Amino acid sequence: MKLAKNKLQQAFDLMAKEANLLVPMKIEGVTKFAPWGAEGELAMDAVNTLLPPKDALFPQTEKMYKYKTRLTQVESLEEIKETDKQIIFGIRSCDMHSIDCMDEVFLTRGYVDSFYSRKKENLTTVAIGCTKVLPTCFCDSMGLNPVAAPTADVQLNDLGDYYAVKAQTEKGEALVNLLKPLLEEGDGEAAALECTLKVNMDGVQKKLMNVKMFESDIWQETAQKCIGCGTCTYVCPTCYCFDIEGKECGNEGYKFRCWDSCMFSEYTRMAGGHNPRPSKKERVRNRFLHKLAYFEDRYGKGSLCVGCGRCVADCPVDLDITMFIDKVGALKEAGSND
Amino acid sequence: MTNHECTCGENPLVPQICNVIKITDETPDTKTFRVQTLDGKKPFDPMPGQLGMFSLIGVGEGMFSVTAKGEDYLDFAIKRCGMLTDALHEMSVGQQVGVRGAYGNTFPVEACKGKDMLFIGGGIGLAPVRSFIRYAFENREDYGKIDILYGARSAKDLVFKEDLYTNWPAMKDTKVHITVDCDDEELACHVGFVPAYLEELAFKPDNRMVVLCGPPIMIKFCLDSLTKMGFSNDQVITTLEMRMKCGIGKCGRCNIGSKYICLDGPVFTMAELEGLPQEF
Repeated sequence: MKLAKNKLQQAFDLMAKEANLLVPMKIEGVTKFAPWGAEGELAMDAVNTLLPPKDALFPQTEKMYKYKTRLTQVESLEEIKETDKQIIFGIRSCDMHSIDCMDEVFLTRGYVDSFYSRKKENLTTVAIGCTKVLPTCFCDSMGLNPVAAPTADVQLNDLGDYYAVKAQTEKGEALVNLLKPLLEEGDGEAAALECTLKVNMDGVQKKLMNVKMFESDIWQETAQKCIGCGTCTYVCPTCYCFDIEGKECGNEGYKFRCWDSCMFSEYTRMAGGHNPRPSKKERVRNRFLHKLAYFEDRYGKGSLCVGCGRCVADCPVDLDITMFIDKVGALKEAGSND
Repeated sequence: MTNHECTCGENPLVPQICNVIKITDETPDTKTFRVQTLDGKKPFDPMPGQLGMFSLIGVGEGMFSVTAKGEDYLDFAIKRCGMLTDALHEMSVGQQVGVRGAYGNTFPVEACKGKDMLFIGGGIGLAPVRSFIRYAFENREDYGKIDILYGARSAKDLVFKEDLYTNWPAMKDTKVHITVDCDDEELACHVGFVPAYLEELAFKPDNRMVVLCGPPIMIKFCLDSLTKMGFSNDQVITTLEMRMKCGIGKCGRCNIGSKYICLDGPVFTMAELEGLPQEF
């Protein structure tokens, strides 16, 4: 099936009746996924929005439960359940794969995170193939295809005046069915696309998992210019670490979780003062090892870096993960310093 | 207390409300809190070594080892060392708290069967070890000779005194060795650091497993001593601590390499720790 681009807004109106529809928008200079109807301009050609759409599943701040107390007693404690239907329209292959990665974290290994799983059940994803790449895009080096996101519910591909529309799951079929009045017969193949930035991950994960690598000088060298601002973790579509905090007013309050960053010293600082990752060297090391080695080791689903290039583009001191990958790739053996 | 609506059980991140039914002063900075669900049961059924997330609603939440379980209660021995634990120490009996768990792996109680056991604790490090000691006494026939070596800074810092001086020495084939760093109250016990006393006691490594918990510096020197005495790294079991928020392997911060201490730990053999990055 295909959808004429001049019917896009009608399609949005249809979808917005069924669910909270998130589309790429430019709002006060920032590109991000925002509810259709928000004040701002549609940014279908943003390639990568400045902010990834991870907050649809993993909000920056999310209430977990609310409670009422009376003196030393807890009068009530109630879990907060969000079950709104959501559609992400226009997600790119890199960000779609970041959801696959978060699924591994939140839905597997013994515990299902109910806050995440409820949102995932109610989410439909509409991916759109890229037609151009940014200078910082390298998703094809990380095993992805910029014009195809196999786990998205619906795949769109830009064919000029039309989008080719292909349902890839049951949820996707339901969505295509909803859009049927606007769709026309026909389809077409997306033109293949290659990223300009290239990295070679061959052997990198294995080298990094070698304990010798942990003590390498490379970490001090790499971390030297980091200023610990946390931008990389904020814009990263796969950074999922969170903090749990509470807010109380009088005799009632709520517990919430919010994004946290491994680049901050408090992240691992324990009561009593001990901090196993006291300086930026340990923190940068943990972040890069998590992205490029630990995640694969734990979940067996490839790297936790999806090659979106946001951290490369947005780091204020140009601490570039692709340069780091090249550097490790060039090491004669794990742990050597040349 | 009426009208309580607890959703625990469905969501591992939501605590169940419990009553504090007993508080024991162990030392000037350590108290044991006994907790029970509102309908008089134990909040969960942990195996030795497992953890529980303990919260004072409105203040905060922290991960602690479960030091003992009874028919209808759990005991947490908690040392005062931060904002949350300060507040916990201000509680009185009847206070309600949040509890969720059990988290983490367990001491290898099966693999240790048929062996002689050496339990070494330093300071509040006896809290996790105690869960295994109690298990061994409950299943006394499954284990050989039991030696318990415990050290604290001074006599007033010894935790679980009733166990150390009365209950445990009375058990079959069991010896309790107590030492304090400095002899400030003329207590009838050995004076000296744990590693030195360990070497003095000259335990034989044959068919023996060691459970070792305490401050990092004590663990380091005890390991040196144990190696000198002929123990291998797979005979020594310890527990690790990291900052934790979720307890279920999601929030990210308690990793050492690709292991999460809240899920894959806290119990590791020294041989296992050798294969991990030294970042704890």
